[in-house]
Amino acid sequence: MNSFRAFITIAPLCLSPFAFSADVPEAVMPEIHFDFLNESCLDCHDSITEEGGMNLEELSFNIDTLEAAEKWQKVLNALNSGEMPPDDEPQPGRAEKTIFLDDLSHQLVTARKILSDSGGVITMRRLNRREYENTLEDLLGVKVSADELPNDGSSGGFDTVGSSLFFSSDQFEQYLKIARRVLDESLVAQKPKLFKKKREPEVDARELAETRYKRLFEANERAADWRKDETQDPTDFGFIDSARVGFEEGQFKNQGPAYRWFLDHPDSQTGVVFYVATPGAYVDRTTLPPTAAPGRYRLRARVAAFEDAPSHRKFLEYGTIEESSLQGELDVMGARCITGTLDNPQIVEIPIEVTSSKSRKIGLRERQPNSRNAARFALKKARKNGDATTNPALWIDWVEWEGPIVEQWPSPYYDNVFFKGPHAKPSDGYASEIIERFAQRAFRIQDPKPSFLKKLTVLYRNRRIEGDSFEEALKEPLSVVLASPAFLFLKEPGQNDEKRELADLELAVRLSYFLWSGPPDEALYEAALCGELSKPDGLRHQTERMLDHPKAWEFISGFTDQWLTMDRLDFFQFNYELYPEFDDSIKIAARDEVFHTINVLIQEKLPIGSLLKSDFVVINDLLADFYDIEGVEGHQFRKVKVPPESPRGGLLGTVAVMAMGSDGERSSPVERGAWVMRKLLNDPPPPAPANVPQLSRFADDLLPARDLQIAHMEEPQCAQCHRKIDPIGYGLQNFNAVGKWRELERVETDSKKVKEKVKYHPIDPSGILPNKTPFSNYFELRDQIAKHEDAFARGFTEALIEYGLGRPYGFTDYDLAEEILASSRHQEYDASAFIHALVQSQQFKQK
Amino acid sequence: MKIPQSPTRRAFLRSSSALLTLPFLESFGAKQFQYAAASAAATPPKRMMFLSFGWGPTKESWYPDINTTGSNYTLPAGLKGLMRHKKDLTIIQKLTNQFSDEAHWGSTFYLTGANRYAEPGQSFSNTISADQVAAEVLGKETRFTSIQLGCDKAEGSGHGPGLSLAWNRQGKPLAGLNNPVAAYHKLFADDKTPLAQRQAMLRQRRSVLDTVLENAKTMNRGLSVNDTDKLDEYFQSVREIEVRLSKEEQWLDVPKRRPTELEEPQDAIVGYEEVKLMYDIMVAAMQIDATRVLTYRQPVDTFIRSLGATISGHNMSHYTNGARRSVAEMRDEKQTELLAYLIDKLKATKEPDGSSLFDNVSLSYGSNIESIHYLKNCPTIITGGGAGVKHGRHLVMEGAKTPLCNLWLSLLQGSGIDVNSHGDSSGAIKELFV
Repeated sequence: MNSFRAFITIAPLCLSPFAFSADVPEAVMPEIHFDFLNESCLDCHDSITEEGGMNLEELSFNIDTLEAAEKWQKVLNALNSGEMPPDDEPQPGRAEKTIFLDDLSHQLVTARKILSDSGGVITMRRLNRREYENTLEDLLGVKVSADELPNDGSSGGFDTVGSSLFFSSDQFEQYLKIARRVLDESLVAQKPKLFKKKREPEVDARELAETRYKRLFEANERAADWRKDETQDPTDFGFIDSARVGFEEGQFKNQGPAYRWFLDHPDSQTGVVFYVATPGAYVDRTTLPPTAAPGRYRLRARVAAFEDAPSHRKFLEYGTIEESSLQGELDVMGARCITGTLDNPQIVEIPIEVTSSKSRKIGLRERQPNSRNAARFALKKARKNGDATTNPALWIDWVEWEGPIVEQWPSPYYDNVFFKGPHAKPSDGYASEIIERFAQRAFRIQDPKPSFLKKLTVLYRNRRIEGDSFEEALKEPLSVVLASPAFLFLKEPGQNDEKRELADLELAVRLSYFLWSGPPDEALYEAALCGELSKPDGLRHQTERMLDHPKAWEFISGFTDQWLTMDRLDFFQFNYELYPEFDDSIKIAARDEVFHTINVLIQEKLPIGSLLKSDFVVINDLLADFYDIEGVEGHQFRKVKVPPESPRGGLLGTVAVMAMGSDGERSSPVERGAWVMRKLLNDPPPPAPANVPQLSRFADDLLPARDLQIAHMEEPQCAQCHRKIDPIGYGLQNFNAVGKWRELERVETDSKKVKEKVKYHPIDPSGILPNKTPFSNYFELRDQIAKHEDAFARGFTEALIEYGLGRPYGFTDYDLAEEILASSRHQEYDASAFIHALVQSQQFKQK
Repeated sequence: MKIPQSPTRRAFLRSSSALLTLPFLESFGAKQFQYAAASAAATPPKRMMFLSFGWGPTKESWYPDINTTGSNYTLPAGLKGLMRHKKDLTIIQKLTNQFSDEAHWGSTFYLTGANRYAEPGQSFSNTISADQVAAEVLGKETRFTSIQLGCDKAEGSGHGPGLSLAWNRQGKPLAGLNNPVAAYHKLFADDKTPLAQRQAMLRQRRSVLDTVLENAKTMNRGLSVNDTDKLDEYFQSVREIEVRLSKEEQWLDVPKRRPTELEEPQDAIVGYEEVKLMYDIMVAAMQIDATRVLTYRQPVDTFIRSLGATISGHNMSHYTNGARRSVAEMRDEKQTELLAYLIDKLKATKEPDGSSLFDNVSLSYGSNIESIHYLKNCPTIITGGGAGVKHGRHLVMEGAKTPLCNLWLSLLQGSGIDVNSHGDSSGAIKELFV
């Protein structure tokens, strides 16, 4: 993959698969650029003139100090912004400048990497938010969403990198608060009351529609009366003034029909048909009483779909209705495909996790974009067609809910804390024992120091003196345990320059936070204590077991989301007018598709290259509908074969990756091309430089994206990277902004200078890869990229090292990466082989 | 306006007619009381506000013509809404943070001027922000040493990494209050718990800190240098809370005051109204003297959407002619409208000595991002009389790379803070004061 930039001096290191040597990496500007510097810069910036205090004569071509990097950065910035050379001085040739900039920006990236290399040091890690939530759940059995904690790892990189996980005083107080909340929820002595309730949803729905309709109707009647003689005083008719009359008439005309339609609909006498009115979409609401304890609930509903409704709308969405949601909006949790008909409705069962930090209002709704504006847009469209409101897709007969579903009482978590059973006599001695056992488990079976325990016991006693009950008073020291450093930090003592082997218990903790983002379970502790982990086979066995465990989802989702920078999916508001199908349900499914695909690779030991191209996808019914794939029923994900002519199969064909490469309106060849270089070809372009003049002269022209990008080739500052990035993106132009296949590109403008506002262009998907291999369409591009499995595997390995060891991948890790790659190559790049190789490596077992 | 007062203070009020306007201010603690009595409300305190709006404004319509400096300049379209305050503000061009090269980070280094690569072996580092330098001095006598306000999903609004505009002495991020409800609650909502009980709680919180410190000390043994540094963040946090607790203790018997003109905000206030409300809260916080140093990272993404735009803040900031440009311009216009509103309020709010809040505050408004992907000319408007700046002018710095930190240094010094440098400053900007 790197052959096209063979002129780069660090190339030997990356190029040769045999480069196992611990060569010291260097960032060096190739000497061919002496001439460029000499001709374009040194006239003014030599040791004699030193224009602007800048002397480049002594500037070392070996970028090995922060000072040199700063100086070269200034050179790069000045060239990028077009500030240098000044307009009245001779300008360098375009080709020369492009290569100079290309080399310099890459070398600077290398230099920064070398200069910030941790040298293999793993900095002590604070539990990140995901780990913190999982660890609390493991201890106390409560689902936690610690939304109030600040975001982790916002300076780029993985959220497992200790050096970028900060700690602030506000955080400390939040930890205490959350711990308290969780303890309150977990340590309940009374068995929670079981609820089971059934509703006929049309009762609420009809009442709402009737009240609203009646108000509109009556005002309209009064208006009609007043209209008979407009000299009458409008206040006698209940209007402030005559303008208000017109307003009320308009309200009735606009809003009345939807409610009337609903009330008259034959199927809304026996159940609810979903519709949209001006305040927003109709949502069926189940409100749990405050006395219903948090926990697992079951929601059941009898539902049918109208046959003529479009297939993508025949899904029942469910979620919570939060304080801040506008009418019709949900915090969507998922969607269920409805195949039942009005003659033969089906019963849908949905598990709901009720937590103390989420709303207790559960909403059911017809699938649609999650915004009131989108609902209003749909209503407007329906009205334009002469309909009273949107055509319904779903009908609900009844809704039933029950819970909390308690499998064991008292809960094992309660028993774990109050270990002497429900009849034990409260005493200070018992309290001390409870505190000690709890702290020991919270500290990942490290014994807490007596001095610390003593202070915790004092906290308990203070609360007792203040009048707290035994159980209540204990929550104070227990919450302090959960805000203590021994709980919050993964401690691995060590010397500064000396590496040491991890003790078995430390290794167990490192392993479980790698694969589960949470603490070890009994079996893993057991394995550590009996020495199994020190043997390669034992370690392998545990790793295997952990990857098979449902908790491995934490690794798969946590790692993948960050590795593939999938947070981009949330960056943009997708245009609901253009892409009504791209809603919250598809976003959730799109993410899950990528995670499930990786899970399948690990479980079935398939090659990592399947992510570049494969003859299968891992999807559910919702995605099958989106991809037009037949015969997939049910919301669970499963492997589905796709024919060779399908664009799906491999990351490039996923809705997630294609939608990430758009801005919610148009597809972006640049974003997609850059993503392919970063993630699939492992040849990341340097970060977009600041101060490069923006090109906007085409703004009013309805040009296809491809023609717009051509401007990138005009200036060397842009061309240095875009000549490689953009052509890859052209090959993906057959996917629209949300990843649907298309033959024509739609372009729209609202510029007043243009008559025709929308144009359709045929797509030219041909292009060229950075290594000069041409392709004529998407399928050839995918085939070409699939040949770069080695490069892709390297990128995956580097990401895995960074995530697993909790430190930025640096040049120090080069040998480790080679070792993992060599060992995985033996097993045809089987996805799980990488994980085993990393776990078995020296570095993983060392502090 | 009836407010509960401590007996001594009431006695004092009865005896002094000079302090008739004092009820506007939050009751003073014992120390503050003596201070106020001694100086008989002579000089109102200095205050500082720093506002950052993330994504850069529209290049063509936000910056005044570079050739029209001094008082004789025209406010460009994007700033027209400030017309009524033109005499009371200064627009500065050609200030820059020389190390900034992240085109999407409008706030990370805005008040620090740091070089993210300054620490070998680290890929990110930062230094103390100007507001925190100010808070060390100005924050001594108020309930809150400083207040950081922010917005949800700040990165989508072009602010970059960080938790607020503020970074502490160690260059670590300080958390912010990210919505009006949280801000209102922290600043004004009073704890109804009886005093004795609150005193007991305070003692208990001290014991909690003492307990976790015990745990931290045993952990500290045998750690490598890097890990010790990490654990030090924990120690530092505990120390900060200790300082906060001592302050809380001083203020324990002084009830928090609810501002009269400000209703407790409800949830779901987003965008334009959110910014407006945050401005109200900032003014109210200074009015009752709850704090003297405030920063605010403003929402942009939700801001433009609340005005009807359907594109993201990022896309708006990379405007081209057409729809995006109109959104960008509308955003400038609306933000300017709100800034003018804030200045109105500052002017209308009186201090005990008859001057206004405006006379005693130093307010800066801008971002590290010039426009689109440009970082060279940080958008900068300063206003308020607190730092002694001579307003009513458009200044263009002579050196094209005058450090933005020169401005922070000038404002700090002007506000009576004894500092000689800040960030990469090369000296105060003398033109501001003559």
